[in-house]
Amino acid sequence: MSKELNVLLGHSADNDGIEEYDNPLPTWWLGLFYFTIVWGAVYAVHYHFVGGRSQAGEYDAEVAAYEAAKPKTSTAGPTEGPDAITAGKALFDTNCVSCHGPKADGVDAAGNKSIGPNLTDAEWIHGGTLADIEKTITVGVPEKGMITWGPILGPEKVKQVAAFVHSSGGGQ
Amino acid sequence: MKTDSPNYDDAIVRKFAGVTVLWAAVGMLVGVIIALQLAWWPANLGLPWTTFGRLRPLHTNAVIFAFAGNALFAGIYWSMQRLLKVRMFNDTLSAIHFWGWQFIIVLAAVTLPLGLTAGKEYAELIWPIDILIALVWVAFAVNFFGTIAVRKVSHLYVSIWFYMSMIITITMLHVTNSLALPVSALKAYSIFPGMTDALVQWWYGHNAVGFLLTTPFLGLMYYFLPRASGRPVYSYRLSIIHFWALVFLYIWAGPHHLLYSALPDWAQTLGMVFSVMLIAPSWGGMLNGLLTLRGAWDRLRTDPILKFFVVGVTFYGMSTFEGPMMSIRAVNSLSHYTDWTIGHVHSGALGWVGMVTFGMLYWLFPRAWHKKLYSEDLATAHFWLATIGIVLYVVAMWVAGVTQGLMWRDVNADGLLEYPNFVDTVTRLLPFYWIRVIGGLMYLVGVLIMAFNFIKTANGTTDANLEVANG
Repeated sequence: MSKELNVLLGHSADNDGIEEYDNPLPTWWLGLFYFTIVWGAVYAVHYHFVGGRSQAGEYDAEVAAYEAAKPKTSTAGPTEGPDAITAGKALFDTNCVSCHGPKADGVDAAGNKSIGPNLTDAEWIHGGTLADIEKTITVGVPEKGMITWGPILGPEKVKQVAAFVHSSGGGQ
Repeated sequence: MKTDSPNYDDAIVRKFAGVTVLWAAVGMLVGVIIALQLAWWPANLGLPWTTFGRLRPLHTNAVIFAFAGNALFAGIYWSMQRLLKVRMFNDTLSAIHFWGWQFIIVLAAVTLPLGLTAGKEYAELIWPIDILIALVWVAFAVNFFGTIAVRKVSHLYVSIWFYMSMIITITMLHVTNSLALPVSALKAYSIFPGMTDALVQWWYGHNAVGFLLTTPFLGLMYYFLPRASGRPVYSYRLSIIHFWALVFLYIWAGPHHLLYSALPDWAQTLGMVFSVMLIAPSWGGMLNGLLTLRGAWDRLRTDPILKFFVVGVTFYGMSTFEGPMMSIRAVNSLSHYTDWTIGHVHSGALGWVGMVTFGMLYWLFPRAWHKKLYSEDLATAHFWLATIGIVLYVVAMWVAGVTQGLMWRDVNADGLLEYPNFVDTVTRLLPFYWIRVIGGLMYLVGVLIMAFNFIKTANGTTDANLEVANG
């Protein structure tokens, strides 16, 4: 089967002068082809019937693995009190100043009105209690361009930013 | 044979070959521009018509349907007349095919920058143009099968099977995927809902790669590689087996574009295993190409045409191994949506389609015009520019893609994304985007050198010894 014959088929008069050998299929090539077919069948049966795997199952397993490995105490630090406000200020400086201004007063670095509103006065669009502010940060205000920060910062850091904003002058 | 030489229509071949070079330059220029836009945003020019989102489909359509499409038609019209020993069935249909196709390309170049799109990747053109494509394609199909019907030989050479698979399958794919309900002259809604629409779209998208950029180019390889090298095809048997295996398996592999989506698990598995089973049938084409060159390897040092073919066929083998690997769930979860995919597509488009087309054109141009090639040295320079350009492009996208994939999935101890802002990944990838611009630019410069070479060739002195003149 693997012996090369190099015998011309003699079709060249029909093929614009192109000659063809009729050499056998390379053994390793045929082996590769059979292997992928068998592998495909074994994989499909294993994935769906033997292993009982699924896309949803994969997600559940990843979440379970995370929950099991999750640190028992958060690495984010305190969520209330002066330390939380200090931590919150650092987070605010990283994530929030581009829209609310470096002083959180609705004025950007160039002295113009910033995209986001003043957070240091007594006027609140979505409520000025600590709980209101925490909720606004968590879900965001997508229609005005404020993204949903909850999944990005996590609950502890959201609490810290809320503590900082609440302490910045207008908190109720 | 010279006494009753059939009156082949080579004027149509010259037309298709000429516009192939033109559209190559246009399509690749737009490619370099959008690559620059990703590396340096001011290149978007702040105008809606020149932003990345509108120019990107212009680039893909120009390269796939204008450059690769016209290259195929040039090669098919040349080779099928000679393989069937008969002039094309109907000259009017040939003309409708040529002018209709160019008209469609011009319509695409106008509508896409205007933001008129059907929103389906590689099928962006709006419904009136879709209908025009179907009509022109049918004209081509009638001409093609008409020519087979009146052929003067009994035996159909392997190239013809590959061309046939393209004509039949592209008709089915284009018509099905374009089915839509028009609501105005410029807007229509797909008749398929939600996930079904996505599945039909990727059945189309994947097989457009399979049956426009793979099988017919294998057909070209089976004709032009033995002609250019003067060597017999390695194995007729292998060509039959890998042809049928390829066309049977390819059509099922589309769902690998939708792994980890709302597509049912069983359909995802189907797409994945059929993709893996495609390795050997694809490699059958590579083997038959490379083994055909046994006994001609010494000519590789001097003959730019064979250089193009060998690198093209080698990239075909590389990307048809990479593709099945990327279809494996675990790999795809990292590679999907990243620049790795862009690199994969370009190793196929620049490496396989581009290089085989250039090899074919350098062989075809002197013969279709009966002129000696103006400069072999320029052809060799084109070869090296293109080869180094591809390597820069593909390696930059591999590194960028893996970097991007790893950054996206990176989570901190709190289970939150380490890089929640997308722009974090963009700034990290900028150096690779610049390397891509350089690689793409080299490839484009190579094409411009080829265009210059061909213009000089066409204006050169006639060489009657090149291919039998045909009346």
